[in-house]
Amino acid sequence: MGKSGYVVRRLLRTIPIVIGVTLVTFLILHFTPGDPVRIMLGPYATQENIAILKEQYGLDHPLHIQYITWLGNILQGEFGTSIRYNRPVLELVQDRVGITLMLTLSGLFISVTLGSVLGIFAALRQNSWLDYLCTFQAMFWISIPGFWLAIIFLYIFGLQLRWVPIGGLTGFSSVILPALVIGLQEEAWFARPMRAEMLGVLNEGYISAARAKGVKYIRVVGIHALRNVMIPMITMLALRLPWVIAGSVVVEVVFAWGGMGSLLVNSVLARDFPVVQGILLIIAITVVLANLLADLVYSLIDPRIRVEGGKK
Amino acid sequence: MEEIILKIEDLKVAFDTEEGDVEALDGVELEVKKGTFHGLIGETGCGKSVTGKTVLRLLDNNARIKGGRIHYGNIDLLKLTEKQMEKQIRGNEIAMIFQDPGSSLNPLFTIKYQIEEAVSMYSNLPRNKWNQAILEALQRVKLPDAANLMHRYPHQLSGGMKQRVMIAMMLACQPQLLIADEPTTALDVSIQAQFIKVLRDLKENLNLTVLYITHDLAVISELCDYVSVMYAGRIAENLTTRDLFKNPQHPYTDKLVHSVLGVTTTLEALEEIPGSVPRLINPPAGCRFHPRCQEAIAICSKEAPPLQELAPNHTVACHRR
Ligand SMILES: Nc1ncnc2c1ncn2[C@@H]1O[C@H](COP(=O)(O)OP(=O)(O)OP(=O)(O)O)[C@@H](O)[C@H]1O
Ligand code: SF4
Ligand SMILES: [Mg+2]
Repeated sequence: MGKSGYVVRRLLRTIPIVIGVTLVTFLILHFTPGDPVRIMLGPYATQENIAILKEQYGLDHPLHIQYITWLGNILQGEFGTSIRYNRPVLELVQDRVGITLMLTLSGLFISVTLGSVLGIFAALRQNSWLDYLCTFQAMFWISIPGFWLAIIFLYIFGLQLRWVPIGGLTGFSSVILPALVIGLQEEAWFARPMRAEMLGVLNEGYISAARAKGVKYIRVVGIHALRNVMIPMITMLALRLPWVIAGSVVVEVVFAWGGMGSLLVNSVLARDFPVVQGILLIIAITVVLANLLADLVYSLIDPRIRVEGGKK
Repeated sequence: MEEIILKIEDLKVAFDTEEGDVEALDGVELEVKKGTFHGLIGETGCGKSVTGKTVLRLLDNNARIKGGRIHYGNIDLLKLTEKQMEKQIRGNEIAMIFQDPGSSLNPLFTIKYQIEEAVSMYSNLPRNKWNQAILEALQRVKLPDAANLMHRYPHQLSGGMKQRVMIAMMLACQPQLLIADEPTTALDVSIQAQFIKVLRDLKENLNLTVLYITHDLAVISELCDYVSVMYAGRIAENLTTRDLFKNPQHPYTDKLVHSVLGVTTTLEALEEIPGSVPRLINPPAGCRFHPRCQEAIAICSKEAPPLQELAPNHTVACHRR
């Protein structure tokens, strides 16, 4: 089996997943309490008005028809119109997606680099004070709720020390705090497995063999060992992505950035279901694609996956 | 007198384990002469691999070197820093082929990459000659179709091929001393014979010194000039290959050679010596062989016999010799 065969197979396997994702996204809102039309029209709406609006949004059809219509529209890139803003969902998202993306990526970057570096040092100095310190700080950050950490940071660095702006998105310095909150919260998820995997790999025969050749230890760790721990680390990355996105939604609201997070929260409160569905679907598809990408990257790193792809 | 390239004196190594300290090496003494092949034999678990790894200071994390000296020329390897070992000793002076060839090659890098690491460090060749050097390294161990093979990954090779790649890789370091830990175990018999020829050639052409760890007495008789016999973390006897077969002095060596001769050529037959290998957590007091020795006398269970010289190139650790 060639490499392209592997890619095609992997692509085909995502189709049922994507269908499942759309189904769940669609159903979640229909089983959440609260009728969007009633919320829109307020407590004094007449039955008649309600019926008209329901028809307008297609809410009078049976559920499966609604789903198929919705899916058909989405396939044509038509995510519907926001009830609250009366603007196309895609437009609303487009205005805000950049902010969320930046926060997610910078948070991920911090957590992966910090976690990996700390994990590697912890492994190289196993059972030293450095190792224990790494464990302790990881546990510390991970046990504080994200929004709480965001508020504390804002208070200390924004309000008291005035190192960074208190809120809003006003250039590079305003990105530091939110990204740091996400980075610190997520870092443990990379530091722990990095340490464990590194310890395992450093015991492998090929590490001794490389050292027996006289290869510098820094190179042995940085090239021979690191490449071998990349696969579990990339798995972890794909696994944590939804959590990082969820985290940045929360953090972004605290920092009043007006990104997808605030849009999502406000839309949920207003039962603006086309927007909520659209955002959830976009996030879900992003996660699915990230996993797909991770699988394809595995095959670049590990030649055994390339060849055995057909059997796996 | 011949030059001594490696001299191990009173080497003691222990491992910390949950069950207690494993006294893996307890006063190992041996000398390897430059340009010779020196065999190291003994039952499984007697400390052969640990001896080899200690020379390169590549022991597992739970190991402790408790004492002794390892003279390489006039350097005591145990006194060098880790950096000095890395820079001056490993690879360019001493290289090692590890016992398990399956795990000794990094699965994520091509054969070419892994040999190139050695070539780039030690050959002094310009970059555009490296490929040629890698090719030659592979051909030296008689690997067929080396030009293609070098672009493969370890999992695409058989155990025997991996073992030969390992040897090629370590030879590409151009070491003075090669520690080969059972390098023929994964090879089938016909390839083994071929491989022994390869080593013989190397011996003649490169003036290579090899510390050859093995279970295989046939290989010892074909390749080695001198032999050290180990038992439970100690040296029982150091002698020439000729003496090993014609004039073994230690009761253990004697059993070893005679339980093997005429029956089978491998040391698996060792297990036929009555009694089992002692566990090294609580080794027997005195001579560690005494529970299995038919010649044991009272002192044997109390005092460890020191190694003493019987004749030039022949030392033995036994109260009765
Ligand atoms: N990391 C370790 N932790 C604990 N004990 C160890 C460790 N490594 C080796 N040992 C012990 O040290 C002793 C010597 O082991 P070694 O690997 O040198 O044996 P060997 O002579 O090479 O045997 P074989 O012929 O099976 O390769 C054994 O009893 C083994 O159990
Ligand atoms: S010292 Fe005693 S027990 Fe040990 S080998 Fe010699 S005779 Fe046997
Ligand atoms: Mg061994």
